[in-house]
Amino acid sequence: MSLTQDALWHKDAVIYQVHVRTFSDSNGDGVGDFQGLAQRLDYLQELGINAIWLMPFFPSPLRDDGYDISDYESVHPAYGTLEDFKKFLAGAHERGIRVIIEMVLNHTSDQHPWFQESRSSQNNPRRDWYVWSETDTRYRGTRIIFVDTEMSNWAWDPISKSYYWHRFFSHQPDLNYDNPAVREQMWNVMKFWLEIGVDAFRLDAVPYLVEREGTSCENLPETHAILKELRRKVDQEFPGRMLLAEANQWPADLRPYFGDGDEFHMAFHFPLMPRMFMGLKLEDRKPITEIMQQTPEIPASCQWCLFLRNHDELTLEMVTDMERDYMYDVYAGSKSMRLNLGIRRRLAPLLDNDRRRIELMNGMLMSLPGTPIIYYGDEIGMGDNIYLGDRNGVRTPMQWSGGWNGGFSSADPESLYSPLLLNPVYGYQAVNVLSQKRTEHSLLSWMQRIIRVRRSTRVFGAGSIEFLYPANHRVLAYVRQLGNETVLVVNNVSSSAQAVELDLRRYKGNILIEMFGRNIFPRVGDLPYLLTMGPYQFYWFRLRRI
Amino acid sequence: MAEESVLTDDFLRQLINVGEVDILVGLPTYNNARTVGPVIEAIRAGIVKSFPRERAVIIDADGGSQDGTPDLVTGASINDVRHASNLYALRTLHSISTQYSDTPASGTALRTILAAAELLRARACAVISPDSTTIEPEWIPRLLRPISHEDFDLVTPVYRRHKFEGLLMRNLLYPMTRAIYGRRLREPYASEFGFSGRLGSQFLGQDVWRHEASRTGTEISLTIAAITGGYRLCQSFLGPKIHTDRSSSDLVPAMRQTVGTLFWSLEATFPAWSTSADLQTVPTHGCEYEVTQEPVRVNRKRLYEMFCSGVGELAPVFSSILSAGTLAELQRMASLSEGDFRYPAELWVRTVYEFAASYHKSVISRDHIIQAMAPLYRGRMFTFLGENRDASAEEIENSVEMLCHEFERLKPYLLEIWNGRE
Repeated sequence: MSLTQDALWHKDAVIYQVHVRTFSDSNGDGVGDFQGLAQRLDYLQELGINAIWLMPFFPSPLRDDGYDISDYESVHPAYGTLEDFKKFLAGAHERGIRVIIEMVLNHTSDQHPWFQESRSSQNNPRRDWYVWSETDTRYRGTRIIFVDTEMSNWAWDPISKSYYWHRFFSHQPDLNYDNPAVREQMWNVMKFWLEIGVDAFRLDAVPYLVEREGTSCENLPETHAILKELRRKVDQEFPGRMLLAEANQWPADLRPYFGDGDEFHMAFHFPLMPRMFMGLKLEDRKPITEIMQQTPEIPASCQWCLFLRNHDELTLEMVTDMERDYMYDVYAGSKSMRLNLGIRRRLAPLLDNDRRRIELMNGMLMSLPGTPIIYYGDEIGMGDNIYLGDRNGVRTPMQWSGGWNGGFSSADPESLYSPLLLNPVYGYQAVNVLSQKRTEHSLLSWMQRIIRVRRSTRVFGAGSIEFLYPANHRVLAYVRQLGNETVLVVNNVSSSAQAVELDLRRYKGNILIEMFGRNIFPRVGDLPYLLTMGPYQFYWFRLRRI
Repeated sequence: MAEESVLTDDFLRQLINVGEVDILVGLPTYNNARTVGPVIEAIRAGIVKSFPRERAVIIDADGGSQDGTPDLVTGASINDVRHASNLYALRTLHSISTQYSDTPASGTALRTILAAAELLRARACAVISPDSTTIEPEWIPRLLRPISHEDFDLVTPVYRRHKFEGLLMRNLLYPMTRAIYGRRLREPYASEFGFSGRLGSQFLGQDVWRHEASRTGTEISLTIAAITGGYRLCQSFLGPKIHTDRSSSDLVPAMRQTVGTLFWSLEATFPAWSTSADLQTVPTHGCEYEVTQEPVRVNRKRLYEMFCSGVGELAPVFSSILSAGTLAELQRMASLSEGDFRYPAELWVRTVYEFAASYHKSVISRDHIIQAMAPLYRGRMFTFLGENRDASAEEIENSVEMLCHEFERLKPYLLEIWNGRE
């Protein structure tokens, strides 16, 4: 299998997010690496995904899990070499899997040589590569993102005796995008990886590139101009490559990141994710449909990126105070589960390890408009370790088997980069790939099936959506349509059986074919279409006029 | 033949769409378009503000309104199609309506609400009168929170009333219920109250619904069922309550609905009240009973005249209801001038108890018994108003308390005549 030549490949992708460190250790040093990841490509191909999103793998002091980069054009030695990366990339491409890598544009590590030079003297040529100030009072209208750890967006540098600007941790100084040399250098970095063959970048923290006094320093027109320029260069020199925006913003604020189809190809739909969890707990579709109503139309070539969980906390920045309190109470009863404005838990523990709810959430993830992302380990229902600091509790080693170190590494268990999960419910002996591969009805097998069904039609990736709003508010129903193909999705978000009447008059005469079992349901007539649904059940129906 | 369901197919369909709820607020309506708008707004705000996380529904049991009342109620829904302009709701708030009949009947309305509450497994329910124009959103938590948070089963209201409002309550319903059942409930017959799902289900399952009396006045039956069933009762202060204007011709239907039901309930609960002697205080949330002093014009002369003419015209009826001594005393009073007329508390209590016993024995048509009581009640009102013309709130309270003691003191008399004298 090889990569298809499709400029819109991102719309039909199913993305698997993984950190190379967490996945598979080939050399027994306790840390996952590219050779290990390459050895697991067959597994990912069997799972059915067709894109991998790699978290940062560049040289870094690793004070923010690699988002503090100290060299953009190399591979962290713990993960292998650039050659290892290239071999992994070739292996992925051979299997029809595209590779998306991280590009942290906004800031570097304070250990990056650029920053070391910049801070070394006021006259250094790279002094102006970062945002320096004699006072810490500029840009006062700017919020602090990591409220649990940072008191200010300015940090005092004792070496150059001035303040530097940082939107994230103080060891991550922001680059100065008003400097043309910085913009040129970052394009060179991107070009370096594009020439190697990567298919896409997930551009980290893009709203914060430019600062202006009297603004929130987020989503500024100057920032968009920089991003458009990068996109223009990508299209010109590397057609078919893709840019994905990480911008934790409201949908209306996110819309400009798509431009007229000339900025980002994709952007994460951050506000949808907490509302899916909220709707499930409230047993009410309202949070989901409301945020979808607020989601603007985007250019035809663009796409939303949907996810249930990722390497960060379940962010609650894009909810109201009332909703946040509710989410904390129902999903993070223990304070240790909370971090910043979010909940640092994996999918299965969030859903009480309830298979029906896990399936329903994945069903919605795969059928709502957008490209789904599966966080590594969630396909087997891995748990988390809330006793590890920061977000490390959701970044524990992949559980491949019930054997030594869960099949992740041959190293001494004590030398692993992170302890394995050991508890009887989520530990590697209970939850692992090997045992689930042997069972037809395991979560892993089910995930393979749903990905296969999702990818059997382009309607989920590229089709339009129309919500049906049945009177039963516990049922979320929508019609996806692309050309002659129509799919009806019906989700019962409640814990009890439901009867629902759907107004399908406009599809009168169609037969409903359930897409998993391919069973035929009654023809649509004049009367409301009555469905009865078990707790957390969902249906995908293909509508056929025969 | 199977008993006809109180739930129409359309209403059942609506209930299916609502599903299980935590909170249910019922509105028994009939042509209330003039007042129901602000009431429904207050209910909605009360639910959204005080119970934002609970699953809630507003249910309108309508008696055949022709003025668009049901549309006003259903328009209060908050969902993903219809948003409330001034409120943010975490979840869907359903507001649904059903027409239970072409003619209004408060008992049938309550039965409809109880049936919906049981089907939806509501834990805490409230009934609100659609003409309560003084309602505030706070009424909702005051009626529901004692149930949802403190496990009470029935919450009756305490209002701030004008001193000459609620006279039937003060002169008969409150003191008699208190004497008979031993609970200090200020409003045993309330147009606003809260009840638990378990009390609602228990009451719905009683055979009260087969009787004609169930068409009206079932609210007081619910209160009595809660008392005799050993459920946990409390009162909640709601604030001012203003009744819409009522003419004197409304008295007989009102008495049928309240006094008639109270008398009717005495039969089924006889084993309970005939043996109970304790008087228990009911916990009250918020302020105690309050009385305001604004002047109210009452035509006392008319009350006196109606008493006198009633005693004269209904003498044959009274002779089959009242004891000879009581009747003679009433006839003597009817001959007195307006200035000398006084209907003393003891005689009033004896009168009421003799009516209750006669109702029990059905000495004549029960409806006629209740109708016959109306002129006598007017005579008692004349005396109460005269005695308390310049009374302070405290003095009125003392007066009511003394009447209560009289009802309690003479309870053995009721027991004596209940099955004794024909």
